[in-house]
Amino acid sequence: MSFKGIKDQTYYELLEVSHTATAKEIQRAYEHAKETFDVDSLAIYSLFSEEEAKGIQEAIEEAYHVLMDEGLRRSYDQSHFQMGGGLPVEKPSEVQEVSGEKGTSLSFTGLSFNVEVELYRGKALKQIRERMGVDPQTISKETKIGIKTLEWIEGETFEKLPPLVYLKGFLKSYAQSLGLNPQKVIEQYIRFMEESVKK
Amino acid sequence: MGQDQTSHQKMIWTIGGGKGGSGKSFITTNVGICLAKLGIRVVLIDADLGGANLHTFLGISPPTLSLSDFIKKRVSHLREVLIPTAVPNLQLLTGAQDLLNAADAKSVQKRKLIRSIQSLNSDTALVDLGAGNSLSVLDFFLISDGGILVVTPEPTSIENTYRFLKSAFYRRLRQSVSSSSVKALIDGAMDRKNEMGIQNPYDLIKVARGMDEGDAQRMIEEIETFHPNLILNQVRSKKDIEIGFSIRSACLKYFGIRLHYLGYVVYDQDVNHSIRRRKPLVLENPGSRASQCVMEIASKLANSHKISTRFKGYELQGH
Repeated sequence: MSFKGIKDQTYYELLEVSHTATAKEIQRAYEHAKETFDVDSLAIYSLFSEEEAKGIQEAIEEAYHVLMDEGLRRSYDQSHFQMGGGLPVEKPSEVQEVSGEKGTSLSFTGLSFNVEVELYRGKALKQIRERMGVDPQTISKETKIGIKTLEWIEGETFEKLPPLVYLKGFLKSYAQSLGLNPQKVIEQYIRFMEESVKK
Repeated sequence: MGQDQTSHQKMIWTIGGGKGGSGKSFITTNVGICLAKLGIRVVLIDADLGGANLHTFLGISPPTLSLSDFIKKRVSHLREVLIPTAVPNLQLLTGAQDLLNAADAKSVQKRKLIRSIQSLNSDTALVDLGAGNSLSVLDFFLISDGGILVVTPEPTSIENTYRFLKSAFYRRLRQSVSSSSVKALIDGAMDRKNEMGIQNPYDLIKVARGMDEGDAQRMIEEIETFHPNLILNQVRSKKDIEIGFSIRSACLKYFGIRLHYLGYVVYDQDVNHSIRRRKPLVLENPGSRASQCVMEIASKLANSHKISTRFKGYELQGH
């Protein structure tokens, strides 16, 4: 990679993944990048100003949303890596517009899911899985979680879920299969479940 | 310089950065022992300006011979001031800090030190630079085959490491350019409140490009070939381990450099016990978790021709 400023980096460079990265690899890279450039991250506060860190966070969100959407990724690749030369050109116009906006709204993608603020509740996990193009059967096969249980986890059918100790194990396997941080998924899912049950 | 007949090119690793207490001497000693046990002939070199005491980590008495005895011609060969240790293939050289003293170190002395180390009949040298940040220390870090930063997952340690890295980075860039105006620009860019509005290396290159395209290109080449190594010490959790990867990403985004995350060493009470007993951990307690981590790092170094950074043609210049 030649030396580039954040604004000139491709989405792949922003997430530090190759052009052939799978959805799972992108998901993992995104989790890592989000953690790295989090406001509380020890690794950045003495290198980047708050404003710079915010800019990077926005760029990472944008990169993630485009690369996780098959259609958007294809058109992005076509516009950036045409002619096989690998030389990046300007970002697509719709992305440029979004880059100029404040906040992390990415309405151009048609995705209402906002990863920055969303907890790893069941619906979020389902959304990530679908975006990665993985069906429940594959997850079930890989994790040995029954299809029904998987449906209950994603559907937030808390009353049917197994006891906490088993649920934690399932969430851990599920998170790993999606390339998510298991600790965070378990913590946030359980917290959401307990709050929902209280209500 | 009394070179050995069998001298040959060797790997010189320098261990620096961070702050005092991050574990540089512990790691230098224990990694050195592991390399020696792998059959690699190792010389540990104590160049810690803040308090040279690698001998204590090795459990040997304060040495009476040092590099100064050779420089002042009290002995004819450098090998005569090497101190043997209880570990086969492992020797100690003390007194190198005298040559790195910022106040009077001249480039000729630094070159002499490098030549002296190169002349030793060994395969690799590990130089403990301590927590210093002087120009001589930076030069030594840059001229070695591989600079290793030891950092703990604490804000102060990370902050100091970045400060060290920033100084080394800009010094490397400064020495790669020829135009005096670009050199002055680099000096100014070190201060984030500079009047030119240069906030990061990327801004610096942009401004330099307007002054001297050739120099800007040389700076980019320096950035792309600068690959320091990182060891995270005293980690207590998975989250701590992740900090190493985050530091790597932050360095890539900020400096544009690819840091090698060599590995981590877990926090382990056995480390403190071994230091207090003046017995190297990897000998005293090779089964401990920290020992296992050190061994893993040492085996990476042993196979590290790919991850070493050799700065061919890098000229040590006066300052």
